[in-house]
Amino acid sequence: MTQLQARGVVRAYGPTPALRGVTLDVAEGEIVAVTGPSGCGKSTLLHCLAGILRPDVGEVTWRGHRIDTWSEAARSRLRRTEFGVLFQFGQLVAELTAAENVALPLLLAGTGRREARTAALTWLERFGVADLADVRPGEMSGGQQQRCATARALVTEPRVLFADEPTGALDTLTGEQVLTQLVRLAREQHTAVVLVTHEPRIAAYADREIVLRDGLVDHTGLGLDVPLAGGAR
Amino acid sequence: MRPGTLVRLALAGTRTDTARVVLTALSALLATLAGLAALAVLAIDKPPGDAWAKSEQYGNALLREPGLRGGTTFALLMLTIPVLALAGQCARLGAPARDRRLAGLRLAGATPGQVTRLAVLETGVAALLGTLAGLGVYLGGRELLHRPDGQGQLALPTDVLPSAGAMAAVVLGLPVVAALATALMLRTVTTSPLGVSRKAPRERGPRPWAGLLIAVGLAAFIAVRPVLFQFEGNDEVLAWLVPLLFVAGGLTAMIGVVIGTGWISYTCGRLLRRHGRHPAALLAAGRLMADPWAGSRTFAALLAALIFGGGAAALRAFFAAQDQLDREQSRLGGVDQAADSFYLSTMDLVDAAVAVAVLIAAGGLMVALVEGIVARRRAYAALVATGVPRATLSRSVAWQALAPAVPAILLALTVGTLLGRGLFPKATTGGSSTEVCNATAALCADPATRAQYTRVVETPPVEQVPDVPLEHLAWLGAGALAAVLVTVGVGLLFLRVSTALDELRAA
Repeated sequence: MTQLQARGVVRAYGPTPALRGVTLDVAEGEIVAVTGPSGCGKSTLLHCLAGILRPDVGEVTWRGHRIDTWSEAARSRLRRTEFGVLFQFGQLVAELTAAENVALPLLLAGTGRREARTAALTWLERFGVADLADVRPGEMSGGQQQRCATARALVTEPRVLFADEPTGALDTLTGEQVLTQLVRLAREQHTAVVLVTHEPRIAAYADREIVLRDGLVDHTGLGLDVPLAGGAR
Repeated sequence: MRPGTLVRLALAGTRTDTARVVLTALSALLATLAGLAALAVLAIDKPPGDAWAKSEQYGNALLREPGLRGGTTFALLMLTIPVLALAGQCARLGAPARDRRLAGLRLAGATPGQVTRLAVLETGVAALLGTLAGLGVYLGGRELLHRPDGQGQLALPTDVLPSAGAMAAVVLGLPVVAALATALMLRTVTTSPLGVSRKAPRERGPRPWAGLLIAVGLAAFIAVRPVLFQFEGNDEVLAWLVPLLFVAGGLTAMIGVVIGTGWISYTCGRLLRRHGRHPAALLAAGRLMADPWAGSRTFAALLAALIFGGGAAALRAFFAAQDQLDREQSRLGGVDQAADSFYLSTMDLVDAAVAVAVLIAAGGLMVALVEGIVARRRAYAALVATGVPRATLSRSVAWQALAPAVPAILLALTVGTLLGRGLFPKATTGGSSTEVCNATAALCADPATRAQYTRVVETPPVEQVPDVPLEHLAWLGAGALAAVLVTVGVGLLFLRVSTALDELRAA
């Protein structure tokens, strides 16, 4: 069942067009990879779908509701409750410990401190970094930071996870480990994933691949059948 | 590296680098003006006569009275403290971007010494431009303001000029000090070719040792009066010992308060982390604990101004008590003496200097807060993208500024008041006998009849402890807090811009 739709989305930065009319559907629990060369509009599309940016033309709907007309506060609330967002790097709060970082979205949603910490520890455990619960990001490796960031993005059990080059700053092995865990846990809780990447190997984890070129959908294809650890797929 | 290349690379950079250079030059200009004004007051010639002969060419008592000129010079020099603190804040503006630029130069083959020289040169050149502009403004202003009034008196010491050596010391010395301070700051920060600036990691929070410094400073001030009595008549010793106690005590207490603010910040962060329920408090707590010295750096100038203001308030309370006591004693002696407003009106000028210092300090505070927000704009933008409301970030910034500011302001005012009180603990009068003649002037003047109409009035020694100037201190505290609030308000405007989600694209 389709829950997120983009229809004829156009977005420009000043005179430079980034998207020139993109149409896309994301079904419940589906993992979609958005690929294409640098500057083709991948991140802009992800930002429009996540309600981070408003399209200049076109519409974005979430479960039948147009979210591109919503206020910034309403879209923030949506991202906090229904969506999770993951970037390449720089998203953890440097001054907070890993557990505090992961607990943050729950605290924002009004969860009590103790429950939020318990949930954060559970998610850190799932990503194999529970021993870093009281460590600050500056003292972690890039892979450990990204595991914490992924745990934070999933801790609210979002309906859709938007991941912008989530392994772009990691080495191949660590990147694959992080992505394997991300995809497995997303599938376990039926979270749809919109994954922006320019690496074919990463795109291969997706159910469907959408290739952008010059702000338009060039073609759509099925993701490669890459076996995942634990037989999650 | 050729000098030309060094200068070109030192002055290259983004708009933030340009803003840093301009603000550094501006603060150097202000410091030069304050320094030259202080030197001009010192350069006023002593008129012929005794040591207390007045310089009647001035309309202002602060310049006319030789006994007050030292205090005026001191107040002007005190004004340079917030100005220098402002310069320090400006030097940090855009520091991460500058470090990345320097790292790029390291990648291109520059040595650590060369990049340090670049940063030092940038600050030195900016400060030199500022001091030269300051000298120009001073000389131009001197010509413009040299306007004697109807009685031929001047409002400012525009008839004297500091010596060429003293002026050169200010104009060239300030850039040298600024450059050395930059070199010192870069000593603990190694810009690596990979663009990573590392400082020694903090293992634990600050300890409350600053309290000892405050106690030593207070003790030095309290010791001034006993020293005056102990060495009465020994001008040679008093000439160096009293100023030493005065300056060393004031500076020690000031450093104690500023360092103590680091401990206050850390403790506020710890309390917020333990008891804060909202994520804004958690974010603020993390920041306060991760860099508690940010509070010290940010509030240093404001706290220095408040210590000075608290001391001035205590001094005013002493003068008011002394005046009241003197008048009561005179009334007992049958003489109705009018209130002497000389010292109190002098204190008005001191209060004006404090207000100017608070304003300059607020400028430094604003630069520091905005710099902190701009440096973290990508992290803020990422939080907003993940659904953290901007209101939460705004509250976090407000918590960060206000949680340590309120206790630090209270501490500074308390220490300032105690310093003033240590110097002038109580007003005293009496302890003498006066002959009062209750008759006409002729009878009193005639030796034959004078004794008949004259009585001796014994005035017992009276002491009065001045009131704690609570109202004055409350105004000072409210003014400082208002300055912090306005600064936070401006900072929040920058937060709005800095959390624009376009920042996510500027990786």
